[in-house]
Amino acid sequence: MNKRPLDRFNKLIIFLLLSVFAVVSLLPLYWVFSTSLQLSSYQSQDMERPVSYVDSNPPKMYPMGIPLYFEHWGEARKAEKAGDATEEAYHRDMMNHIVSNTFGSFKTLFKKHDVGKWFFNSIYIAVVVTVGILLIDSMAGYVLAKKKFPGRNWIFWIIISTMMIPGQVTLIPLFIMIGNLGLMDTHWALILPDLSMVFGVFLMRQFMYSIPDELLEAAKIDGASEWRTFWTVVLPLAKPGLAALGIFTFMNVWNSFLWPIIVLNTAELYTLPVGLKTLQDANLASFKLLMSGAAVAAIPMIVVFILFQRYFVKGLTLGGVKE
Amino acid sequence: MPASLLGGVQMTQMPIGAVPKKEEEKLKVMKRPNKNIIKDMKKNYSAYLFLLPKLILFTLFIAIPVVWAFFISFQKYKIFGSEFVGLDNYIEVFQSDAFRIALKNTLLFTIVTVPFGVISALVLASLIFELGKISQTLFRSAFYLPTVTSMVIIAMVWRWMYNYDFGLFNYVLGWFGAGPINWLGQSSTALWALIIMQCLIPFGVGIILYLASMGAISQSLYEAARMDGAGKFKQWLYITIPQLKPTTLYLVLLSTIGSFQVFTQIIMMTGGGPGNATETLVHLIYKTGFRDFEFGLAGAQSVVLFVIILIFSVIQFRVLRHDE
Amino acid sequence: MMKKFWKKSTMSILSLGLAASVLAACGDKEETGNAEEFKGKITIWDGPRWADEDENKFHWMEEKIKEYEAKHDGIKIDLVQVPWAEMGDKLGVSITGKAWPDIAPVDISGSSVNIDHIEQGVIESLDPFFDKEAKKDFYDNALEAYTHDGKLYGIPSSITLHTMLLNLDLFKEAGVEPPKDGKWTYDEFLDTAEKLTFDRDDDGKTDVYGFSTYIMPGYYEAWPFFYKNGGSPLNEDMTEFTFDSPETVQAIQDLADLKLKHKVAPETHGGNDVGGTFQSWANEEQRTVAMQPWATWAIGAAQSTYPTNFMVAEYPSGDSDKPVTIGGVGGWIMMHQKDVNKKAAVADFMKYISSAEEQYTMSQNYGVFPARISAADMEPFKENPEMARAMEMSDQVVMLPRHTEWRKIDEAIQNELQLVFNGEKTAEQAMADAKKAVDKILE
Repeated sequence: MNKRPLDRFNKLIIFLLLSVFAVVSLLPLYWVFSTSLQLSSYQSQDMERPVSYVDSNPPKMYPMGIPLYFEHWGEARKAEKAGDATEEAYHRDMMNHIVSNTFGSFKTLFKKHDVGKWFFNSIYIAVVVTVGILLIDSMAGYVLAKKKFPGRNWIFWIIISTMMIPGQVTLIPLFIMIGNLGLMDTHWALILPDLSMVFGVFLMRQFMYSIPDELLEAAKIDGASEWRTFWTVVLPLAKPGLAALGIFTFMNVWNSFLWPIIVLNTAELYTLPVGLKTLQDANLASFKLLMSGAAVAAIPMIVVFILFQRYFVKGLTLGGVKE
Repeated sequence: MPASLLGGVQMTQMPIGAVPKKEEEKLKVMKRPNKNIIKDMKKNYSAYLFLLPKLILFTLFIAIPVVWAFFISFQKYKIFGSEFVGLDNYIEVFQSDAFRIALKNTLLFTIVTVPFGVISALVLASLIFELGKISQTLFRSAFYLPTVTSMVIIAMVWRWMYNYDFGLFNYVLGWFGAGPINWLGQSSTALWALIIMQCLIPFGVGIILYLASMGAISQSLYEAARMDGAGKFKQWLYITIPQLKPTTLYLVLLSTIGSFQVFTQIIMMTGGGPGNATETLVHLIYKTGFRDFEFGLAGAQSVVLFVIILIFSVIQFRVLRHDE
Repeated sequence: MMKKFWKKSTMSILSLGLAASVLAACGDKEETGNAEEFKGKITIWDGPRWADEDENKFHWMEEKIKEYEAKHDGIKIDLVQVPWAEMGDKLGVSITGKAWPDIAPVDISGSSVNIDHIEQGVIESLDPFFDKEAKKDFYDNALEAYTHDGKLYGIPSSITLHTMLLNLDLFKEAGVEPPKDGKWTYDEFLDTAEKLTFDRDDDGKTDVYGFSTYIMPGYYEAWPFFYKNGGSPLNEDMTEFTFDSPETVQAIQDLADLKLKHKVAPETHGGNDVGGTFQSWANEEQRTVAMQPWATWAIGAAQSTYPTNFMVAEYPSGDSDKPVTIGGVGGWIMMHQKDVNKKAAVADFMKYISSAEEQYTMSQNYGVFPARISAADMEPFKENPEMARAMEMSDQVVMLPRHTEWRKIDEAIQNELQLVFNGEKTAEQAMADAKKAVDKILE
């Protein structure tokens, strides 16, 4: 630590303060899950009309199914002990209703809508692009960092200078080109442009510098071909860089939105974000259903993030900060 | 590509010139006289083979479209045979109310959210930095998690939270006896609702980069300051902040570019309305291009957007760098 | 889920901002090919219609394709499933990207075929396949919606219009009589709305509102109210903006005042939340609004997905003393074909899916009226009085102006309307501003 260690009290204050901010920043995400599991129809014996805790004012801060389930469970137990079979059956029924209602929108989502297909499409496209980018960009990054050949700097700077150009600039020409290539309304329309992203070249080139020349020389002396050297020596050494690039590529492709809503027509081919938009555009979807869709789309990225957290940090800081 | 870059700019773009010093020297050494260029190329044919896939993709889906974009902006696009119309599209861009309003909204959005985002990232990172390792990881994740979530999802849930009758916000306002406010439904609040939303999404990239940079600040600087009797706050003000300047510069650039491209929230939450209170540049480009199919005009709009971003980047670069 | 009509995106079918093109010139020679000679693939787009037991909303089209393929060896029909909400935009995009299907549906709310696409030669004329006799079976206004310069550019398959839906449970709770036969004047309507606005639990907050609707480009539920005193957005020859006439301004202000002055409409009245508006009327857990105007699909929804005790009523009549509503004609269009034999085959399939029997089936299941007289004669609404009542209103239908730039004109008007409903402008100001914008487009 660069400063005098803070005393415990100050640390506690900071911890609490940060916790408040963290809660605020995580609240929307929590709200997605909470609403998706909120009880949307409930009517106990003493209620005149069924209530929905989704569209309720004040809003319920957690899925009401949880306390109500246990309440009925307790009542059922009580009735069981008292030997009141009808009362017990009623409470058991209510428990079943609560469970099926709580998870009901997920069932509807997969049954009535193409969410399953969208999910698969998103995964499939993200994986194809990620694998492709890792291979193509590490090949390019490797030679740009380690080989000396005419035009090298020119190529690098031309590629890199396009990073400054916002994507909207190429939106229309790219659209016309995809149309001319006959790729409209296919997954290739997403995959090919994504594979041409240049960021990875830049990142892999930065990373390849750290590979010692001596190792490459040694491989050469052993008589390994260029490809073999690349495959068996370079790639294994570049693993951390590949991991970082892979994660960011996956994330970008998974979340990409503007381009897919333009080139995809067929509902079956949609990716999750596009599907979610059509779900929201359809008038008859309740907020519980929308939030369930959002939850389905959010979960994979959250899992990826938790599993590969350190690579996220690595990817962000790599090249971004002088080491 | 466009969509990915949109997201990509926020998440991953890094300073372009960040080639390590040592490497830059190496590059210089490598420049050779042109005499043996053919021989050189032959000798290195494998290098070109390695580059080939990227070069083909890059040429087809980036280089050609970029050049093409400028051509289109001088054309009136038609399905069968476009015609050249000179600067007409640009003239229309600058004369149209829609573009002016979109520019104004986008500027306001940027001017509020960028400083807020960067400063809050700096403050949060500074606070996190004071804590132990486990707490650091914990908070870093907590603040970064919303950043990995798709904006589509975030926009959907915020639309729900802004709901007039059942939304969380009007409920909270109710505690203070205020509201309810028709957040997204009136011109006076709609854009601000989107700005507030942007401000409350933590700038995760910023926090992580600040934390990494703070770790790299030399201890001796702080020791010297302590010898001079500087307190914690003064150390932060006179050492930490100046030392973090390159990171700050980078983050300001990054988030400026990002917020000039704000789109997803708009299409998911307001569609640019009410009236055109929340129309932004990229949403306008989308509408012009893919609802009205005026490709030439949309092309001109996007070129103008590019120039604006470029000008802003240069200015920020100059301002934040002037004393180096 | 996605059966909504009269919405934004579908309007792009009506008018895309594209200029006339070379192709128009080469569509003149009319040659009927031989459908039997054609072997190959036909692509058709369709949106989700009504569900079967497996929740499949494309089953009807899938069945038709299967039947047709079985009868015609060598023809393969590809179905592309596109949500209605995206249909208009998507079709426009694919036309611009030169990747159009052979057959596309015109959403009921599309109101008519896109003139601009016709002028560009992207849509084929169907005159070679429909003689006078064949045309006779269609209602005139349905044919008219697909006719341009005397030529037919599509097969009308269904008609729809907007009606008022009244929640009778709430009428009962408030002790209000619904209008007799669904006919009323605006004053009676306002009076009813006032009585229907009440505080159920005496907590000082209004629980039920009399009326609400929303305002958005491409949506016209509110528009019959603006026509009630006899105004229209453009003059006859579509050269001038006329929604700023005193009678229309008054009509717009009246509807906005339901919220602003009379407080019989919720805060969200005139906002842009289509789904939320419908939920507040139909969702069993909400039902906070007693009356809303919707297209006929909502009748189907209120009879199935959202079972509601409701009745269909006319839009209240204003100074013109005539109730008015807005309608649309759905149908099928054929996109540009190079091969005459294929063209004939495509036309044959289009006829197959818009026969009287199919229109009868669709009317029964999909909340629309048939466009063929012979289908209507089969009485699809024998057991559905609400649809029957709605169908009686078809002579009150006014069509939206068929201007090539309607989409932009509409957006200019609706954007200003939104500002009236949230109280930022008076109707007079807003329409004066709209005039400026629209006049620029009309130039």
